[in-house]
Amino acid sequence: MHEMALRGDILQLVENDARSRNFKQVDKVELIVGDLSNAMPDALEMAFDVFRARGLGMLSEGAQLVIHKEAARSKCVICGHEYTPDRRLSICPECALPSGRLIAGETFKVQSYEGS
Amino acid sequence: MKINLDTEVLTDNNAAAKFNRDLFTKHKTLVVNLMSSPGAGKTTLLEKTIAALGKEYSIGVIEGDLATEKDADRIRALGAKAVQINTNGGCHLDARMIAKVIDEFDLEKTDILFIENVGNLVCPSGYDLGQNHKVAILSVPEGNDKIPKYPVMFRRTELVVLNKIDLLPYLDFDVDMAIEDLKGINPESKLIRLSSKTEEGLDEWLTWIKEAYRNLQEQ
Ligand SMILES: Nc1nc2c(ncn2[C@@H]2O[C@H](COP(=O)(O)OP(=O)(O)OP(=O)(O)O)[C@@H](O)[C@H]2O)c(=O)[nH]1
Ligand SMILES: [Mg+2]
Ligand SMILES: [Zn+2]
Repeated sequence: MHEMALRGDILQLVENDARSRNFKQVDKVELIVGDLSNAMPDALEMAFDVFRARGLGMLSEGAQLVIHKEAARSKCVICGHEYTPDRRLSICPECALPSGRLIAGETFKVQSYEGS
Repeated sequence: MKINLDTEVLTDNNAAAKFNRDLFTKHKTLVVNLMSSPGAGKTTLLEKTIAALGKEYSIGVIEGDLATEKDADRIRALGAKAVQINTNGGCHLDARMIAKVIDEFDLEKTDILFIENVGNLVCPSGYDLGQNHKVAILSVPEGNDKIPKYPVMFRRTELVVLNKIDLLPYLDFDVDMAIEDLKGINPESKLIRLSSKTEEGLDEWLTWIKEAYRNLQEQ
């Protein structure tokens, strides 16, 4: 959907930081993408392929993209049970109540990059 | 050298959203971000809302659209201030787009600002615009499965307006199932059944808006 726009945000974060350190190139960018973040890893890969093909002279142009997926996890506030949620992700399978809260799966971060 | 950035991808958006929110808060303007699939009835609900509340409250609308001015014109026809943002194909509004048009409103004199997001159940849900409330509109013809299919949208909204309930007799939309699904995805969320056509349920929506406005003034 809007992975092109997200790619712009990711590159800006990396480029700004890399320039502030006087790096001449960026070799690798690592992301954490949660299952429930609305960003699609495949589409992000594609957005980066398009970016590389364009040749805009940015530091990160040759960078490899590494995506770490974060699976959705819920935890029940009543019984403490941790589970991998299905469609009704707030329903604790032990209590059968909407007492589960998402504890992982929504992250969408630039974790790190490698520059020199 | 490896640099651990550990930074939200939407950091810039979130900063712009904070800028917007600070402005809205300063002027005590209630801001509601309306999101739905294309055609679920956002503009129609806004027309009804302005017709009902336009005398009591000064209402402004930001219209997000892929290309046209059509929705803004519908709002202006009712005498409310409307500003159109064309995203030129972009699938959502972001906080910077809102920041750019805020000046076109006299916030001191604006009680309620509605933002009609681009029709899309996926992308708009990720972007904080600086609003007080996020509301999803789901319409009966879209079918029952939309809530579990788009969990991110329904997790991040606090109210679902189930619109076009006048069509319930003709379609097999199971309202109880929708409420169960919603509770299963977002236990805090509420659902209002409404028809913008017959105006059934409209009062409940108007009451929700007035309460949100009152709560904001008392803060
Ligand atoms: N039967 C019925 N039709 C409705 C209702 N609300 C809206 N409509 C119709 O649904 C169509 C789309 O309504 P809009 O209000 O333009 O929908 P929207 O969500 O603003 O659409 P976009 O801005 O294009 O995403 C119009 O033909 C409306 O007349 C309703 O409660 N019942
Ligand atoms: Mg509309
Ligand atoms: Zn439990």
